Amino acid sequence: MAGAAGGVGQTGVTEVYTAASAIAIPTIRTVAADLAARADFDLDSIADLRMAVDDTCTRLVRLAACNATLSCSFAVRVERIEVTAEVDVNRMMDPLPRGSFSWWVLRCLADEVTALVLPGEAGQGGRVCIILVKQALSAGLL
Amino acid sequence: MHHLGQTGLERGTAVSSSVSPTGTEHGDYAHLAALQRRYAELPATDPERQRVREQLISGYLPVAEHLARRFAGRGESLEDLAQVATIGLINAVDRFEPDRGANFFSFAIPTITGELRRYFRDHGWSTKVPRRLKDLHLDIRSSQTQLSQQLGRAPRPSEIADQLEIPMSEVIEGLQAGEAYRSSSLDEMLGEQANTTLGEFVGDLDDELAIIEDREALRPLLAQLPPRDRTILALRFFRQLTQTQIAEQVGISQMHVSRVLSQTLGFLRERMDTSD
Repeated sequence: MAGAAGGVGQTGVTEVYTAASAIAIPTIRTVAADLAARADFDLDSIADLRMAVDDTCTRLVRLAACNATLSCSFAVRVERIEVTAEVDVNRMMDPLPRGSFSWWVLRCLADEVTALVLPGEAGQGGRVCIILVKQALSAGLL
Repeated sequence: MHHLGQTGLERGTAVSSSVSPTGTEHGDYAHLAALQRRYAELPATDPERQRVREQLISGYLPVAEHLARRFAGRGESLEDLAQVATIGLINAVDRFEPDRGANFFSFAIPTITGELRRYFRDHGWSTKVPRRLKDLHLDIRSSQTQLSQQLGRAPRPSEIADQLEIPMSEVIEGLQAGEAYRSSSLDEMLGEQANTTLGEFVGDLDDELAIIEDREALRPLLAQLPPRDRTILALRFFRQLTQTQIAEQVGISQMHVSRVLSQTLGFLRERMDTSD
């Protein structure tokens, strides 16, 4: 792990690599929430980011190939955090089909959501990646 | 004025909202004293006893609610506190011995506040957390409630730090400690009671679900959710309110909203994914 420790407004990148296993997810979402708190996100945005990261990682872990590594990177920028989570998969499939409930939920929790499916070399398997952008302040519709 | 004031408490009871247990005990509650003696005299097997007990509990309920309100704004929802206070009241009704000559209030008030204190001390924390962190956490939650109302949005950690005049690192520590804090243990203990007014307020979700392509898989799962959890889910993901706004509407803490949402999403995710 490297990076964004301490202080309001400090930017940097933190990377976490774990086995693609459900056991790792509480650690990863705690890292996300801690970085957001240190970046002075409002408490709603911290909670949303925690939930979005939990959801994203759970989906990726389910798709992951045997013995795959789950890679998460948290880039703390000014007033926002960009999360990139990716994993190797055996079967190519969209982790977040547009219009699905899971896609809708992540769109509500994060300000931007992108899912990428990158084919592997032998045409079999590949890599699935979800990118989230979360702003520091939540604006609700009333 | 605490924003949680009008929720949760009125359900199932028709009580006057302006009750001062110390000021009116000889007025509004005089008839209950006679009932209290009757309750003490009735043999345990008498079916009448249960009815009298219920009358006593609902009659004294405003006292429990009044005391619960005094403990509000410390990071626990008024709804939870009212439930705890009601347990205290039930204990007081059952244990009070009128022939000892004491006033019911001088017995019931310490019993109820004792129950509330014990709740803050024991039930809220799922793991052993040092007292300093518990206090810090309660301060943060109380500041969060105040600032949310002032700012019209959830506060940032730095804003809480300013208000409490503590370093931001302590706020972050207190927030982390909060993850070990589980006021929902009380819900599990008592069983959730649905806030039906809110269920009606949200109505059925047909219009909202139109944008969801896998809605046919989702619909039966939504129907399985407790009404309040479904309402919270709908407010967050279809009305797109923030957790803080939902907390205000439903009358529970933002933390509790967050917990309900995480649990509900987990439930839906598990079942949606196995169904396709």
